[in-house]
Amino acid sequence: MSDPFSRLGGSTARRLSRLGALARFGFGALRSLGTLPAAGRAVALRVTLNQIRFTATDAIGLVVLLSGILSFLVISQAVRELGQLGATDFIGTLIVVAIVRELGPLITALTVAGRSGTAIAAELATNRVLGEVRALEAMGIDPRQYLVLPRFFGSLVSVFVLLVVFDIVAVSAGFAAARFNGMVAGRYVEIVLQALALKDVWLTVAKAVTFGVIVGIVPAYYGLAVRGAPTEIPIATSRATVTSIVGIFLCSALFVVIG
Amino acid sequence: MTTPLAIEGVPLGGSGREGGGRRDAAPLTLAVPAHEAVALLGDEESGLGRLGGYALGLERPPAGRVTVFDTIIADLPERERLAFRRRVGYLPASDGLLQNLSLRNNVALPLRFGSEASPRDIEGRVNVMLVAARVTGAAGLRPAQASEEECRRAAFARALAFDPALLILEQPFDALTARTSAELLELARGGETAEGARRTILIIGQELPAGLLRRVERVYRVTRAGALEREAV
Repeated sequence: MSDPFSRLGGSTARRLSRLGALARFGFGALRSLGTLPAAGRAVALRVTLNQIRFTATDAIGLVVLLSGILSFLVISQAVRELGQLGATDFIGTLIVVAIVRELGPLITALTVAGRSGTAIAAELATNRVLGEVRALEAMGIDPRQYLVLPRFFGSLVSVFVLLVVFDIVAVSAGFAAARFNGMVAGRYVEIVLQALALKDVWLTVAKAVTFGVIVGIVPAYYGLAVRGAPTEIPIATSRATVTSIVGIFLCSALFVVIG
Repeated sequence: MTTPLAIEGVPLGGSGREGGGRRDAAPLTLAVPAHEAVALLGDEESGLGRLGGYALGLERPPAGRVTVFDTIIADLPERERLAFRRRVGYLPASDGLLQNLSLRNNVALPLRFGSEASPRDIEGRVNVMLVAARVTGAAGLRPAQASEEECRRAAFARALAFDPALLILEQPFDALTARTSAELLELARGGETAEGARRTILIIGQELPAGLLRRVERVYRVTRAGALEREAV
């Protein structure tokens, strides 16, 4: 029987190895962009736009709902509670730091991972099981060019677009909540602008890019890792979702440390 | 002279792509001469279903080697490996058509991702192949909407899209009528030259329709004991 340290070491080594494989997979996919012929680029672009439609456009309603309710609830409570303490200035910090900078990217990325990441993993795993990936390779087509790159760029753009939507709705719902609870409109705008710094903007953009990469690469990796049995599809989908969520939370924590 | 396809000492024992069948079979050695259509037949447990993957470098045989135009494709660097495969037309047993694309786009896909041809030239080539395979009427359908015969015709058109000198066909005539099979084999041969067929063809399957026996140059059968026997044609 192995001792706990050996087991811990083995588990850590496996995780690091998987992280390395994910990084290799991601860089390999990006490198394949350089050898994509013009006609292939046109096809890949069409698939990317289709991905953006499904991942971003079709998810706008959900993001608006989540963002609106979250911001309205938080700001309503904050105006009431902080108002009693005469500390309504902190509402600006609350909306910018807590909602726009931290919760916005987190909730947006989780929404995309749960909604589209699962679809990407299941779709690519099905492609593998049906022999379509093998057929692509046999025809001399790099599956990363046709299957991975469009989903990668689609996720990247979609997370960014949805995050912008989330932030606009959050600030607007916060405004509505503040007005609903008796705050003067000009005061809300003033304290939000006071709390907003350039750092908040680049941190939010950096998070959108990082989370977009995670949601684009991790499900594709797990989907294509399926060897051929249909029973592997739900397993791959589940692993892809869990890994994406863990990755998003870990990176979010990392941003707090470096930010 | 370059041999289009040579199988040297490859143990096949194992069924399908998963292996696990007969393991005591003798290693297979076979050369497919240029300009000939060769049928290699064997039951499901013969392990013949893995030969296409070995030839194209999708998998490595456990022993021996498979060369295509004197090259082991699996040994090539990634980019060259992909480029080399375009010299070989491949029809997998399950057709391998992408379910979310129309038959037309399935035929166009290898040309779009594997050539620097202009969109107009690609469309022209796709039209030629669809007409040759007589599947123009169903070109707009997805595989799930098309009949099995239409899918097989589109798969042939796709395998021939690059006008390859060598074709590897896995169970190409299953569930097709004798007339359709003969028609598709003629399409695959690409016409006749003084040396024989314009293309070299390896047909892998369990049986060859009787009507096709006189349209191929050689027929081999892998016996249940794993030996290779040549049948009269």
